[in-house]
Amino acid sequence: MSASSNSRVLNLEILAAKIRRNTLDICMQRGGYAGQGVALADIAACLYFDELRPDGRGWFHDRFVLSNGHDAIMTYAALAEHGSYTLEELRTYNADGTKIDQSPIEGQLGFEITAGSLGQGPSQAAGIAWAERQRGTDKRIYCLFSDGELQEGNVWEAAMFAAHQKLSNLVYIIDNNDLQASGATTNVMSVEPVPEKFEAFGFFARRVNGNSVTEVLEAFEEAKGVTGKPYVMVCDTRIFAGIDCLQKALPMAHYVAQKTADWEAGLAEIDAKIAALGGEA
Amino acid sequence: MLLEGETTFDSAPFDGISFDLCSRRKDVVMVSADLSKYTQIIRVKDELPDQHLDVGMAEQNLISVAAGVAKAGFVPVATTFAVYATRRAYDQMMICMGTGPHTSIVVGFTPGIANPARIHHQAAEDLGMLRSIPNATVIDPMDVTDFKQALDVAVDLPGLVYMRGHRGDTPRLLDPQKFKFELGRTYRLRSGSGIGIIATGHATQWALEASEILEDRGIDHSLLHVPTIKPVDEAGLADFCFAHDRIVTIENHQIVTGLGSVVAEVVSNVGGGPRITRLGVPGSWAPGGTLPYIREQLGLDAVGLADRIREAGQ
Repeated sequence: MSASSNSRVLNLEILAAKIRRNTLDICMQRGGYAGQGVALADIAACLYFDELRPDGRGWFHDRFVLSNGHDAIMTYAALAEHGSYTLEELRTYNADGTKIDQSPIEGQLGFEITAGSLGQGPSQAAGIAWAERQRGTDKRIYCLFSDGELQEGNVWEAAMFAAHQKLSNLVYIIDNNDLQASGATTNVMSVEPVPEKFEAFGFFARRVNGNSVTEVLEAFEEAKGVTGKPYVMVCDTRIFAGIDCLQKALPMAHYVAQKTADWEAGLAEIDAKIAALGGEA
Repeated sequence: MLLEGETTFDSAPFDGISFDLCSRRKDVVMVSADLSKYTQIIRVKDELPDQHLDVGMAEQNLISVAAGVAKAGFVPVATTFAVYATRRAYDQMMICMGTGPHTSIVVGFTPGIANPARIHHQAAEDLGMLRSIPNATVIDPMDVTDFKQALDVAVDLPGLVYMRGHRGDTPRLLDPQKFKFELGRTYRLRSGSGIGIIATGHATQWALEASEILEDRGIDHSLLHVPTIKPVDEAGLADFCFAHDRIVTIENHQIVTGLGSVVAEVVSNVGGGPRITRLGVPGSWAPGGTLPYIREQLGLDAVGLADRIREAGQ
């Protein structure tokens, strides 16, 4: 694809690796949702550093709604690269009295909604998309939620609404990592086939490898060409994807306690990867 | 501040109120969950379609979509029956609307026993649920004038505002020239001594009916209308309570967690004070039927109330 030249992809891959490193740096202090932050790094790099248009004032013109609050680690790790947070303050994640909540409240920089109660982001994003269209803006609205979250009925109420309203300024990004609190989503309550379900609701749906910068970029590009319907990218990801030693050790880690992971091994691996990509570790 | 003479009624108060508001405020959007006809916002739907949004029969979606609309610069007024707003979408009200600064209004219709169907349509616990949400505003207006003025105030308040709605034949009791809704303010509708009656919403209508009977019987009393359940005027409420020997609260709500509880909390914060009798739905499922029938069954009809107020005063 012309839009994803080699240097563009390489730059985003370096950013993704740095987002992974930031995730480990933050979570190794007191534990956290490290597996999700690492797995979502490629999507985060594409989203924050390629897809969301800058507003010229250090922030973004387009709007990103995080629905699954525990994936806030992804946003923190990405916004550290963006310069909106310092790693020093992010290292207070999960500490008593911190302003860096594991699952933030609306108004915290980077978080448009209070996202801890799952299933409520897609409809709020749809409401924002409807209102932005009413106002005649060209803003595009992106909403990230998870495969386990698809079990919440509110998500399908939102899908019905978004398709009925033909919200082509709305892009749902599903973190399809086949993991929820009690185990594999396919075992707890299967949600597949996810793209077909959204297509049946009236979406343009695309399944992509959520750990491929190229595929994620292509999907974002495709979404902008879709008219008359909302777009959903079902991103297959795996916990800790991109850091082999942690993925191998903790393939089903919904939450990683401080002492559960070999953080140093993970950092060494990702530092080597950043160096190999030509980025500064 | 009460109108004199024969009481007149508005058969579709919210149709006029919502149309008037949307005509003046182009940033207001009436959001419905398939109940536009039954919450009476048809005029907005037909004549101001850009300010009307139907999310289908999905109340969680109603509240969360409306919350999104608020986060993009509009003032949503989410309308449905009080039972659905509170029981189906309480989490969405608290989390999507209640944690942020954006004005988000929910109007819950047919509250309490103001619905002929039974418990599935009768929200007799909504005030208690909503006043448990930090920073939420909770309003229970008594008539057309109160309803209209309260909504006009609500559109400029921050965060979640829950308001009980009136539909169908609704009386005009307050004189719009003399009454001015102010958030938190209480309104003395009858002045006397002895028994102090405190009421809100529909129950203020009922209290006025009982008041006439009490007056005929020569029973000295006052009547205070409390449209704002939260934030409540604690000082004003305490002053009223401590100026009377007995307090009777009347509400279209369970006798726990609503107005009666507010009054008891305010009095206990001061310490001492008058005995408080709480009248409303007494910890049971209310029956179905016409409103006069349900009121009579629960002892909330004018004569029943007058008798119980007199007893409370003895």
